[in-house]
Amino acid sequence: MKIEISREALVPALQAVIGVVERRQTLPVLANVLVVADEAGLSLTTTDLEVELVARVDLQIEEGGQITVPARKLMDIVRNLPEGASITLTVDQGRAVVTAERSRYSLATLPATEFPTVEDIGTTEPVLLPQGNLPELIERTQFSMAVQDVRYYLNGLLLELEPKLLRAVATDGHRLALGELSGSVEVNNNQQVIVPRKGVQELLRLLDDSEDEVRLELGSNHMRVTLPGLRFTSKLIDGRFPDYQRVIPKVEDNVMLADRDTLRQALVRASILSNEKYRGVRFILDKDLLKIQSNNPEQEQADEELSVDYPGTPLEVGFNASYLLDAITVLDGQQVRMGLVDANSSCLLQDSEKQEYRYVVMPMRL
Amino acid sequence: MRKIIHLDMDAFYAAVEQRDNPALRGRPVVVGGAPDGRGVVATCSYEARRFGIRSAMPASRAARLCPDAVFLRPRFDVYRRVSSRIQALFREYTSLVEPLSLDEAYLDVSDARAFRGSATLIAGDIRRRVRTDTGLTISAGVSYNKFLAKQASDLDKPDGLRLITPDQGPAFVATLPVGRFHGVGQATERRMLALGIRTGADLRRWTLPALQGAFGKRAQFYHDIARGVDRRPVQGTRVRKSLGAETTFPVDLREPADMVDALAVLAERVAASLNARGLLARTVTLKVKYADFDQISRSRTAREPFRSGAGILRQVEQMLAATEAGPRAVRLLGVTLSALESVSPAGGEQLGWEF
Repeated sequence: MKIEISREALVPALQAVIGVVERRQTLPVLANVLVVADEAGLSLTTTDLEVELVARVDLQIEEGGQITVPARKLMDIVRNLPEGASITLTVDQGRAVVTAERSRYSLATLPATEFPTVEDIGTTEPVLLPQGNLPELIERTQFSMAVQDVRYYLNGLLLELEPKLLRAVATDGHRLALGELSGSVEVNNNQQVIVPRKGVQELLRLLDDSEDEVRLELGSNHMRVTLPGLRFTSKLIDGRFPDYQRVIPKVEDNVMLADRDTLRQALVRASILSNEKYRGVRFILDKDLLKIQSNNPEQEQADEELSVDYPGTPLEVGFNASYLLDAITVLDGQQVRMGLVDANSSCLLQDSEKQEYRYVVMPMRL
Repeated sequence: MRKIIHLDMDAFYAAVEQRDNPALRGRPVVVGGAPDGRGVVATCSYEARRFGIRSAMPASRAARLCPDAVFLRPRFDVYRRVSSRIQALFREYTSLVEPLSLDEAYLDVSDARAFRGSATLIAGDIRRRVRTDTGLTISAGVSYNKFLAKQASDLDKPDGLRLITPDQGPAFVATLPVGRFHGVGQATERRMLALGIRTGADLRRWTLPALQGAFGKRAQFYHDIARGVDRRPVQGTRVRKSLGAETTFPVDLREPADMVDALAVLAERVAASLNARGLLARTVTLKVKYADFDQISRSRTAREPFRSGAGILRQVEQMLAATEAGPRAVRLLGVTLSALESVSPAGGEQLGWEF
C-alpha cells in the first residue's frame, strides 16, 4: 500500500472520525483507524462497536491496500507536521511508515481483517433530508434522555419517521422533550428506532446547519446517516420506547403565557437558593401574576414576581428548576406557553405560537 | 417483667385514602401497584379483604378477585406525614419507640409515668388520641414481650385493644399454630409440620438438644418462644444501614418467571419499609442461594436513587438474569437496599411516570 496526501486533506478526515476512538478499549484493534486505499480513494474507519464512522477522501491511489494504525498517534503526528506538508503512508514488513519531508515515523499495525466493520444494515427505505434542521431537532430534544437508567430504552433518542414527518422524543421518566420536522420527509411506512446516547452525541458533532442533503437509513439493528465525505452508523437500542403520547397532557385547564427571557432569568436567579441536589422551586399562580419561591436547607429564601398572562384559577406547583430551564432555554420564541392541570400532574411547555417543540415536565412535591 | 405495647394502624394506606376521599368509604380499596402491571398489593381496605385480597398479593390477582375494587397508587408523602404525627404522639409516653414501618411500632412503657404506668391505659389513651388527631383507627396489643404484644394487637383488629398477661402467655402460645410464630417462615413451618409440630404445645415438647439437631442455631429462639419467652429488646434509636427482605421457598424454584414474581414481592416489601422511613437507597443487592446451598450476591449502585418497588424490581430482575438461576434451581432469594439517605424535607419529591 502506498498513498500520498496533503496534511490539509488528512487532518480534517482524521478529526471527523477520531471521536469514537476511546482511550480505554476492550479490544486492542479499537484503538486503531482502518485505512483503506483503493480506486475509490482513501477511507478512514473508526468504531467503538456501538458507533462506526467512515471518512472518505477523493484521492489518486498509487498502490491499493488496507491496514489498521493507532488512531490517536497517527492523528497527533500528522496534526503536528508543518502546514502544507505532503505526507506519504506506506506499509513495510507489518509497520506503517509515515513520511513527510525529513520526518519519518514507523507505527505498529494490526491486520485489517481484525477490524470490525458494519457493511449492510438491511435498509428498507432510505430518506433524504436537508441537514439544516436536523442538528436543531437533536439539540432541542436530546437533553431529556436518561443517563445509565436500568430502563435501557430511555438511554437514547427515539426517532420516528412518518409520511411528511420526522419526530424525535427523549425522556428520563421525569420530563420529556418532543420535536417534529415536517414537510421534507418522503416515507411510505412508519418507522421507529431508538438511537443510543453515544450515537446521538456523535451524530450531533458531525452535523452542521448547511443545506447539504443527508441520507438517513434505518435498518432493523442500525441507523446510518450519510453526509458528504462521511458515513455515520450507530447500533440501535433493542427495546420498546414507552407510549409517550399518554404523558402529554391533553387538557390544560390553566394556561400561562410569559415572556420567555424574563421567566428564564427569574428561574436562574431563584434556583440559586434552591436545594442543590433537587433544584425545587415553587410556582404560585394567581390572576396575571406568577410568584416563584425557593428555599434551601439553610433556610435562605428567594422570591420572584412576574407579570404574566394568566386568566386561570389560583394554583401552586413545585418544579425542578433545571427541567424547566432546559426547556425554556431551547425554545426560541418571544413568549413561552405553559399549560398546567394541578400540583400532581405534568405541565406542557411550548412556544406561544408554534408547537414543533413540546416539553412535558412532572412537578415536585415540595 | 417488661410492659410492651404493639401499635398497628388498621389498613393504613387504604384508611388514609378513604379518610381523604369520602366516595371511597365502604368500598373495596386497594393501594399498591397497578392491576395491569407487575406490582403487588401494599394495603387493602377491610371491604377488599372480604374478597380474599391480601397484602403482598399480585395486584392483577386482586383485580380478578374483585373487579369492582378501586386501585390507587400509594401517596407516601401523605402517609409519612400521618406517620410522623403518630410517632411523635408515641414519644410523649416513652422514648423507647421502635418503628417497624410507617404504621407499626413497638413501645416499651415499663418505665412510663403516665396513668401510673398502666400499659393498658396508655394504649387506650394513644388509641383515642390517634383517632381524634388523624381520624384513623389503630389497634393495640399489650403484653410482656414483643412477640406476644404483636400477637395481641392482631386479636381484636380492627380498632381493638387486647392484653395478654404473663399468666395467659404460655397458654396462648400453646394453642398458636407454628406458622404464626415470629421467625417461622414458610420454609421452617413446612419442616416443623413434617416433624409433627403444629402448635406451640407441640413445639414445647421438644427438648433444646432435639431442637438444635433439627434447627441448629435457631433452636434456642424456638425453645424460648414456645414458652412465651422473647428477650428481644425494643430498640429505640437504631440507625439503619441497610434494609432487606428474603424468602426461602417451600419448594426450590426452577422457573425464572416464578423467581421474578418472588422478587416483585420482596421489592415491594423493601420499598415499603424504605418509604416508611422516609429514605432513598443508592445501592441494591440481590442474594441468590441455589438448591445446593451455594450462595452468591450481586450489587449495583445507581445514579438515580431507588425509591419504588417497580424501580427496585427492574434492577434486581436484570441482575437475576445474569446469574445461573434457572439452569440451577433456587432455594432462596433476597433483596437488600443500602447506601441509604433520607428524602430531604427541603428537597421535595420529584414525581415521574412509570415507564
